[in-house]
Formats: sequence, C-alpha cells, structure tokens
Amino acid sequence: MKKRGVSLLLTAAMLAGTLAGCGSSKETTETSAATTAAATTAAAAETTAAGGGAAAAPVASVYPLSAGDQLQYWCELTSTVSSNYANLGETSFGKGWMERTGVDIQFLHPPAGQLKEQFSLILADGNLPDLMEYNWVTDYPGGPEKAIKDGVILPLNDIIDKYCPNLKAYLKENPDIDRMIKTDDGNYYSFPFIRGDAKLLNTIGLMLRADWLVDLGLEVPETMDDWHTVLTAFKEKKGAVAPYTFEYTNGQYLTSDPFAYAYGTNRSFYIGSDGKVHFGATEDGYKQFLTTMAQWYSEGLIDPDIATLKSDQVSAKMTNGVSGASMGQAGSRMGTWTAAAQASNPSYKLVAAPPPTLKKGEKAEFGQIENPYSGRASVAITTSCKDIERAAKLMDYAYGEEGHMYFNFGIEGESYTMVDGYPTYTDLIMKNPDGLPISQAMSGYIRGNYNGPFVQDARYLEQYYTLYEQKETPEVWGDSNGKAHLLPPITPTSDESKEFSTIMNEINTYRDEMTLKFMFGTESLDKFDDYVKNINNMGLDRALEIQNAALERYNSR
Amino acid sequence: MKLSYQIKKDWKRNRSLYFIMIPVLIFYILFHYKPMYGAIIAFKEYSPALGVTGSPWVGFANFTRFFKSVYFIRLIRNTILLSVYNLILGFPAPIILALLLNEVRNKKFKSITQTVTYLPHFISLIVVTGMLTDFSMTTGLFNDVITMFGGKSSPLLQDPKLYRSIYVLSSIWQEVGWGSIIYLSALAGVDSQLYEAAQIDGAGKWKQLIHVTLPAIAPVIVIMFILKMGSLMNMGYEKTILLYNPSTYETADIISSYIYRIGLLEQDWSYSTAIGLFNSAINFGLLLFTNRMSKRYSETSLW
Repeated sequence: MKKRGVSLLLTAAMLAGTLAGCGSSKETTETSAATTAAATTAAAAETTAAGGGAAAAPVASVYPLSAGDQLQYWCELTSTVSSNYANLGETSFGKGWMERTGVDIQFLHPPAGQLKEQFSLILADGNLPDLMEYNWVTDYPGGPEKAIKDGVILPLNDIIDKYCPNLKAYLKENPDIDRMIKTDDGNYYSFPFIRGDAKLLNTIGLMLRADWLVDLGLEVPETMDDWHTVLTAFKEKKGAVAPYTFEYTNGQYLTSDPFAYAYGTNRSFYIGSDGKVHFGATEDGYKQFLTTMAQWYSEGLIDPDIATLKSDQVSAKMTNGVSGASMGQAGSRMGTWTAAAQASNPSYKLVAAPPPTLKKGEKAEFGQIENPYSGRASVAITTSCKDIERAAKLMDYAYGEEGHMYFNFGIEGESYTMVDGYPTYTDLIMKNPDGLPISQAMSGYIRGNYNGPFVQDARYLEQYYTLYEQKETPEVWGDSNGKAHLLPPITPTSDESKEFSTIMNEINTYRDEMTLKFMFGTESLDKFDDYVKNINNMGLDRALEIQNAALERYNSR
Repeated sequence: MKLSYQIKKDWKRNRSLYFIMIPVLIFYILFHYKPMYGAIIAFKEYSPALGVTGSPWVGFANFTRFFKSVYFIRLIRNTILLSVYNLILGFPAPIILALLLNEVRNKKFKSITQTVTYLPHFISLIVVTGMLTDFSMTTGLFNDVITMFGGKSSPLLQDPKLYRSIYVLSSIWQEVGWGSIIYLSALAGVDSQLYEAAQIDGAGKWKQLIHVTLPAIAPVIVIMFILKMGSLMNMGYEKTILLYNPSTYETADIISSYIYRIGLLEQDWSYSTAIGLFNSAINFGLLLFTNRMSKRYSETSLW
C-alpha cells in the first residue's frame, strides 16, 4: 500500500516517463555530439570537393549502381499499402526500385497513426536510419533549418550538385519549386514530393446530388443564395433531414471551407490583395460567413450533429438520402459514395459545384488549392548516413525520366502499357483480378497515387478518376483566383517558431470553440467584436508579424 | 547495534520472501522511479536531437507559461469539477450496489445482476464512446427516448451543459459492477454472529446496516477513498479526447486532454511535462491531506 501511494507521485508525469525510458540520455548526447562533428567534417569535405570541380556539371549516374551497403529507409506506410503488405519492400514497387537502382533498402515503418511519436523516439535514441521520409517543414519543431542545426539531417546543396543531375535539372527548369524546397538560408534539405501538374492541386470541393437537382428542376448552385435555395428544396421536397453535411472533425476540410471562401476569408492565414499575410478568422468576412452559417443551422439546412461527425457517419448520410450535399475529395468521397449508393439506387449521381460567390456570374476570388510542395513525404539524408553518395543517387533516380515513369506508372507491360504515347494502366490495376479497389492495386506498383520523393504525374489522376463527374472536378473546383491567396510553405525562424506555436495554439483552440458556438447560436454574433478583441489579446499581431517576416524571407529566397 | 541485529535476524527468517520481492522491486525501479529522471525536462527546453542532458535549462519558464495561459483557470476548474462529480456520484455507487446485492437472498438473481453490472467494464473505451456519440446524436437512442416522453431532440454532445452528466453517468454505468467486487468480498467477511447479536438486541434491517455492516467494511471504504483522492486530478485523457469537440471545450477540456493536444500533437514536450508534473504535485498533496485527515478521524490510513 505504501509503495503504491508514493508511486502515485510521479506516475502521472507519463510523458517524461516515456521519453526517459527510451535509452540512457548520456549515450544520446554523445552520439548526437559525434554525429554533429561528423556532419561538419563531411560538409567541409563536400565543399572542398565541389570547389575543386568548380562548374563541372554532375555526371549522370549509371543504374543499377555497383554493389554496396544496405540503406535504411524510414517512412510511413500508407493505408492503401498496409491493407495488403506489411512492408514497402514486399510490394512490387519496393522490389523493383531496389532492382533498378541496385541499392539494397531496408524499409522501416512506424505503427499506423504514430508517425510523429515514433519520429521523436528515433531522434531521442540518436541512432537514425540513413533516409527519413517526413514533413520536415511542419512536423519538425523549429523547421528544416533547425533540423540541420540540430545535427539531424544534412544540408544537400553540395550533395545535389555532385550526385543528383536529375533533380538539379528539374529544379533549374522549375524555379518556383526550387524556391519552395529551400530554407530561408538557401539550404536544400530534402528530396521533395512535388505535385507536378495544376490538375493535382485542386483536391477538395463541394458536391451535391445531381439526380435530385434534375428532379427539382434546379441548376448546380453558383452563389450563396443559390445554395440556400437548393438546400431548402432538398430539405422540404426530398426529405433530407440534414441537407448539408461533411466530416467536421477532419481539420483538412475546415481549412478549405468553400462557404468561408465565398466571403473572401478562411479560418486561418492567407495572403491578402495587399500581399501581406492575414488571419481570416477575425475579419469581417468571417463574421458574415458565420452569420450565414448560423442562419442555415437554425433553418436545419446544416447537419445538426455536425461537430461530432466522422467519415463513416458522413458516408452513411450521403448514401442513404439523409443528406444531399457535402464537401470532400473526388476520389475517396465522390467516387466511393457513388459506387456504394448506386448498388441500391442506380439513378444516384453526384456533381461537383464551383466555389460559391456572392453575386451571380462573378469569378470566385478565393478557392481551395494546394501548394505543389507542401513538405509532406519528403526524404532527408540523416547525419547517421555513411554512404551519402549512394543514398543521394538512390533518391535522384525518381527525378529522371525512367524513374518518373516507374514511380507514377510502375512496370511497362505489367502495370501499364504505352497507348499512342500515353501510359495506360493495365487491367491488373483498373480491374484487379483479386478484386482489389483501384487505389490498393495501384499502391502495390507505384507511389504515384499517394506521395513520396518524386514528381507526381497528372496522367495518374486522369485514369484514377473513372467517372465523368470526377474528371471535371479539377476544373470546376479550381475556377477561382485562389492561388493568389495561398500561403507558400513559409517557416518562422527557429527562434520564433516556439513563440509562434505558443500563440497560435491558444488562438486556434479559442477560434474552433467560438466558431461552433456562433454557428449553433449559443453565442450571439453581437459578441463577435469581443471575440476579435480576445484573439488580439492572445498575441495575434505578434503572430502576424512573424508570418509576414517569414513571407518576406521567402519572397527574397 | 540493535537494528543491524534485527535486520540479520529478519533476513535469516524471511530470506525466501525477500527473493520473491526482487522482481517487484525491479519493476518499480525500472518503470516508476527511473522515469522520474525524465521529469527534469519540465525545467528545460527539450529537443530530442540534443537529448535530456543536452537540452538547455530554462528554469520555471514552462510553468509560468502554463499559469499565464488563458486556459489555466478553465482547465483547473474543469478537471476539479469533473473529478469531484465523479467522486461524489461515482464513489458511493458501488458501495450501494454491494449493500443491495448483499441483501438479495435469491442466488440466481444475485449472480445475474452481478454479471450484468460487471460486463460494461470489459467493453473497450473506444466502443463505449462510439456508442455514446451515436446515441447522443439527434437521431440517436437517447433522443428517441427523450422524444418518446415528449421532449425535443437535440445534439446532446454539442451542449457544454450536458457534457459532464454524460461523462460521469457513463463512467458509473461502466464501472459500478466492477467497483462493487471489493465491497462484496468485504461484506462476505462480516461475522454473522454480529448480526445475530444485533437481532437479539432488537435491531431491524436498517439498524443492522448502520451499526453492523457499515462499521465492518468502513476500513475498506476509507482506504478506497484515500486512493481515489490521490488520483483526483489524475483524469485520463482518453475518454475526454474521444468524447469532446470544440463546442464543448468550455466544460470538457481538462488538464490531461490539454497535455495531449499540446504535448503529443504539437510536440511541445517540455511544456506538457511541466503541466503533468504540476498535476502530480497537486495529486500528491491531496493524498497527503486525505491520509492525515483519515488518520485523525478514523484511525485508518495508508501509512
């Protein structure tokens, strides 16, 4: 009894426990000190070597490379792979990649959903895999420059110059991308995942029941008033209890809410017409957006249970007629729902709606769009890597012509064939004999359908979308000037990043809470000014200052 | 002199017992004492790349940051209120159930009731909260019942006023049967002669309960109470993060769920360790306080 009582004291400091439990810290510091030293000498050696070669262009690597050590490659195993394989090395993609490059790779994966936790544990342990696929921009506290300074990853400038002719050529042709994947200090740090076509950037948008619209004699809504009419008709004439619903608990959807965009704002940071960074959730547009949402909510046009909805509940509502309009991706939402609902209701059809506006005929100023480079799934070479040349050449493969085709389409004659110069997936992918859905069949052969260190090809998407309504989504959803307002992947300096995240944590919690209260009507919109004042008191000005400075540094890269 | 002699004697006599104790001792050292060392990152600016010893000291900066946070008061209030409700309503519930079951004479009914009340304890928390979420929706079971009695259906889990009731009542439902086991075993140990004596003295059922049963199981109740007090502020984050949403933060957000959001999701380890340490310190204080009170008034205590 006594022992139990005392142990209560600190068992609750559970975080401290887990962190300390994973290896004696003395070792950790020693190794990290050693690796930093190694990194510095390595970097110095690189510089002299590169200096000697002066302007000499990197020599194209000959694949497969000659035999050498095995490399460790750490990455998340995406769900479409993990449903059939336990390791990327077991997939046809993984095997072929090793065979083609001649590099023996040991793939290491964190348990599903524990990417960040495992990353921290590996770092604390100090014994890093050679290559790590991670979002170094958003998920390393302090950003990529800090990761270099901490001695975790290597700056790649000289390495790319020497060993990576493919990536170098790509970056030379695409100066926009080149700017995105550097730090403010001009350091390259990763082999990036790049969406190589404008079509791949508009991934989320509004969709609604086309068959209901036809029944009701209504057009696809363009303005907010149209939407009000359509949703009301869905409710009154089609018996939809919750006409508009979406997966509210998924943050990705919240940040790209098309109805907020209609009022020239969003809930987070964007670039205003003055070229400065703005915070949408405290502006007038946001108040108007909330006013409309509160009205819709009180009229029963928005799902009353919206705040607790998860994806399976939304799917159920969208397929069984409880809801008629939603927001989501063309593949995992529109395609899946259509296929599921048509089994029992052949006339079921969804159609994409353009970003809504306030006046008819106006082109939307704001709309959902992604950066070609978001930081996600980008591979850095760690300071523990012994054979840097080999690692660099392995990664450079994907950015060349052959590697590009391999990462996006797989093996010619097996997963794709060239039809009139167009790489066409075979029936092995499109009508898998084992009955796998397209996304899972693809994941066995390529990385083109999710992410990774390569340039994604739009021709994958053109085939992945099988329905006409899906194929038109990039154009319909992309019909806005959203790109001008999109924040590029900027990073606060490592000193400011802690302060920035402290401020934004508090503000975001408050914003999320109040947004729902305003919408539900539990808090009157007369209080909006108080809400803005409270957010300002939490240090919004300072956060904007940090963001604007980061944007300036980005623009002068 | 005397002490060393005693130790020697004790060692000789109980050697095998000491050997049996070794694994337990190792367990506590490895999993409960060694981790305490990691708590020092509460006073540091921890970076995994630099390690625990390599990270720079920052003194009490992480603690002051928490005390100055706009959510500090709210988090403390929510944690305490939720715990106190859990204690006031949740602590007596298994005792009452045990006393009631003790009076039941029909063996079959008794064992069925016991099994039925134990069962929810074995349902995974994820499933329980999933059920609660579904039942609380406007089209869910709870609302069906409400409308059956003429009420109006509403999204229950989006109402901050109802959150605590849902949380506490569901906890009681899940744990009441399991919690009653220890009291039932205590009740089984009460000497039946005492009841006979009480009956002869003319005590009815109620008097027997007050003067025989309760005093007999009082030590168990007190020990359980002290243990509960020691973990009063120690509300787990799992149930909270599965049940809450931004619209109920006002009453739902507690210290541990805040630690989860900031520490694990935002990777702010030092800050969350500082909050955790602060939380543990309060718990320890509460434990000491209750223990002393109990010693003074009931002569039962942990040490």
